[in-house]
Amino acid sequence: MTTVLEAAVPSPGAGRRAHLRQAATHVLLDNWTGAATVPSRALYPHQWSWDSAFIAIGLRHIAPRRAQRELETLLGAQWGDGRIPHIVFNPSVPFGAYFPSPDFWRSSTAGRTAGAPSTTETSGIIQPPVHALAAWQVHLADPAESRRRGFLPRVYPRLAAWHRYLSTSRDLAGGALAAVVHPWEAGLDNSPSWDAALARVEPAPQRSFRRADLDHSSAADRPTDLDYARYVRLATAYRDHAYDDARTPHAFAIEDPSFNALLIASEHALAAIARAVGADAEAHRRRAEAATAALISRLWDPAGGIFLARDLVRGEPIAGHSVSGLIPLVVPGLPRDIAAALARTARGPRFRLGQVHLVPSYDLTAKEFDGNRYWRGPSWFNTAWLIHRGLVQHGEAGAARRLRAQVLTAAYRSRFAEYLEPYTGEGRGIRRFSWTAALALDLLHASDEGDPAR
Amino acid sequence: MFKTACQEQLLPGETLKEKWEFARSAGYDAIELRGKGDFHFRDRLPELRKARAEGVVMPTVCVDMPHFFGAFDDDLRRDAIEQMKSQLSVIGELGGLGAQTPASYGMFSRRLPPFNPPRSEEQDREVLLEGLTELGEHARKEGVMLFLEPLNRYEDHMVNRLEQAADLIRAVGLDSVRIGIDSYHMNIEEADPAAAVLAAAPLVGHAQVSDSNRLQPGAGHLDWPAWLGALDAIGYDGYLAVECRLAGDPFQAVRSIPSFLHRSAG
Repeated sequence: MTTVLEAAVPSPGAGRRAHLRQAATHVLLDNWTGAATVPSRALYPHQWSWDSAFIAIGLRHIAPRRAQRELETLLGAQWGDGRIPHIVFNPSVPFGAYFPSPDFWRSSTAGRTAGAPSTTETSGIIQPPVHALAAWQVHLADPAESRRRGFLPRVYPRLAAWHRYLSTSRDLAGGALAAVVHPWEAGLDNSPSWDAALARVEPAPQRSFRRADLDHSSAADRPTDLDYARYVRLATAYRDHAYDDARTPHAFAIEDPSFNALLIASEHALAAIARAVGADAEAHRRRAEAATAALISRLWDPAGGIFLARDLVRGEPIAGHSVSGLIPLVVPGLPRDIAAALARTARGPRFRLGQVHLVPSYDLTAKEFDGNRYWRGPSWFNTAWLIHRGLVQHGEAGAARRLRAQVLTAAYRSRFAEYLEPYTGEGRGIRRFSWTAALALDLLHASDEGDPAR
Repeated sequence: MFKTACQEQLLPGETLKEKWEFARSAGYDAIELRGKGDFHFRDRLPELRKARAEGVVMPTVCVDMPHFFGAFDDDLRRDAIEQMKSQLSVIGELGGLGAQTPASYGMFSRRLPPFNPPRSEEQDREVLLEGLTELGEHARKEGVMLFLEPLNRYEDHMVNRLEQAADLIRAVGLDSVRIGIDSYHMNIEEADPAAAVLAAAPLVGHAQVSDSNRLQPGAGHLDWPAWLGALDAIGYDGYLAVECRLAGDPFQAVRSIPSFLHRSAG
C-alpha cells in the first residue's frame, strides 16, 4: 500500500505557486461562458448549483464581478417555492449532450405549480446549500465592488427563500433538518451510504434512457447502469408529482449530515449578509442553532465518532461511514468534544488523513470502498476544502496546513482532476474541472493570508 | 507582478527626465514614447540617448501619425512603412522592445457612411501581409518587435479583433511580429476579452490600457481583474502601457493608475 508521507507534500514554493495560480486561472477563464461557469466543457456543459458556489469561492480571487455574476445567474433560475435547481440548462446545448436533459425534467411544465421558471429549463432536484457561504465570501473579496453593484441586497432575499424552502418543505420528518429525496441531491451521488435505501427502488427500464456521461468518462469511474436506472425512477416519480415535496411518495428520503452541516454554515453566513443589508440576522442565527442541535441529536454517532445519515423511510440511521459524516466540522460552534472526535476519526484507519491523498469519500476499511468509482471511495477536492475549513475553525492548524499542501500539489499534478484515487493520488474522471481549480486557487490565497484569517 | 508604463504626453515635465521622476514617484516602471512622422522620432535621438543615460526606461514607442502601413494611398503607405522602420531602428538603438502600430486609424469604418471601402478584403489582406512582412523583417534585424494593434470598428475597418491580428501574424510567420492588445478596443470588439487573451496567448507581445470610456483605468466599467487575470494566466511579462484620456485632475488621474492596476490584478 502506498502511503503519502508528510515530507512528500511540502508547501509549494513561490514559483510553483505562480504556476498553479496561472493554470487554475486558465481553467476558470476557459470554462466561463459569459454569465456563469460550466464545471467542464466536455462532460458538464450546463450550470450546476453547488459547483457554481464552489467556483465562485475561487473565482472571487480572479474576478470578483464574475464571481458575483456566477451566483446571480444561478439564482436567476430559482423556483418560486425557493428551491435552487441542481442544473440550469444552457438552451444552446443539444439535449443529447447530457442526461437527464430538459425533456426529461420538463421543469417549465411539470414544475409550474412549484414556481419553476417558464423560460429557463432546469432540473427539479437540488444540491447542497453552499450558496450563502459562497455569497458572503464573494462579497468579502471586494466589498466596494459588491456595494457598487448592489450584490448583497440583490441576493439576500433569494438566499433567504432558498433556506426557507429547505427548512420547511424539506423538513420531512419535522425534526429541524432538511431531507434529500434523491441521491444526487446530497452531492455524493453514488455513495455506498445510499445502497440499501436505493436497493428498495425499482429500477427504470434500461431502454427508457440513454446515459451521456459515459461518452466522456471511463465506465469504471462512474456509477453503474443499475444505479442509474434507480436514479431515473426516483426523478421520474418526483417529476410526475409536480415536484411537490408534500405530495410525492418519497421512496428515498435521507437526512444527510453534510447537506445539513452546509445549510447550517450557510445560515450563519446568511446572518452576516442580513446584518450587512439591514435585515433580521437574529432569525438566521436562531435557525442555525436549532439545526445544529438537531444535527447532533439526530445524526451524531458517539460510538463511531462520526455523523451518520438517517434513512427517513426506515426511520433509522445508515450504518456506513462516508466523508459526509466528517463535513459537520464546518459548523461554527460545534461542541469541542465532537469536533475533536471528528478530527480523530479523520486521522484514524477509516479516512487516514495525512497518510492518503486528501480525504477518501468512503471508509477505507469497508468492503464497499472502491478507490476509482466516483463517490464510493475517491478523494474529492470540495470535501477536502470543507474539511480544511473545519480543521482551521477548530484549531487543528497542523492537519489543516498539511491538507492544504496536498490539495495544491494534487490539483496541479492531476491537471485539476475531478477526483483522485486516494492511495495513488492519480486523477480520475475528467480534467480541467472547474471547482478543483477554484478551490485550489482559494487555498493558494489562504496560504498567503495564513490559516486563522479565514 | 505586472510592470506599468505611461505614455509620455500624459506626464508633466519639460524633459523626459522630469517626466520620469514624476512617473517613478507615481509607481510606473517605464515611459512609453510616441513616434511622430516626418522622421521626427529619429530626430529626437539625441534627447532620447540623453534620457537613457539618465536612467529613463523607455521600452516601447507607439506610432503617432496621420497615416499607417495599411493606407489606401500608395505613397502614404510607403511613407508609413519608412517611418515605422525608422521608429523600429530608434527603439532598437535605445535597447527597447518594439513599436506599436494599427493597420490604419481614422481612414475608414464599415459602420459609417459610405460603408463600403474602396479596397476589397482580399486586397486589404495582401497589403497588410506585405507591410507586416517588410516591417517584421526590419524589426528582426534590429532585434525588436512590431506590435500590430487591433482597433475598434469605428477607427479601422481591417483589424478589429485579436484573432484577426493572430491570423495575419501566423501568415507572416515572423517571431518579430506580435499583437499589441488594447483593453479599450477589446472591450468593444471581443465577446469575452479574457478568453480572447487566452486564445491569442503565444502572440500577445504588448498591452495598452485604458478603460471602457477611453479614460484612465478605474474611471470606466471594464472588468479589470478578469482581463488582468487572463494576462497573468498566459504568463505575460511585458508592460501595461497607459494610453488614455484623463478625467478629473490630470496629475491625480495619472498617479491613480499603477495602484489601481496592481490592486485589480490581485
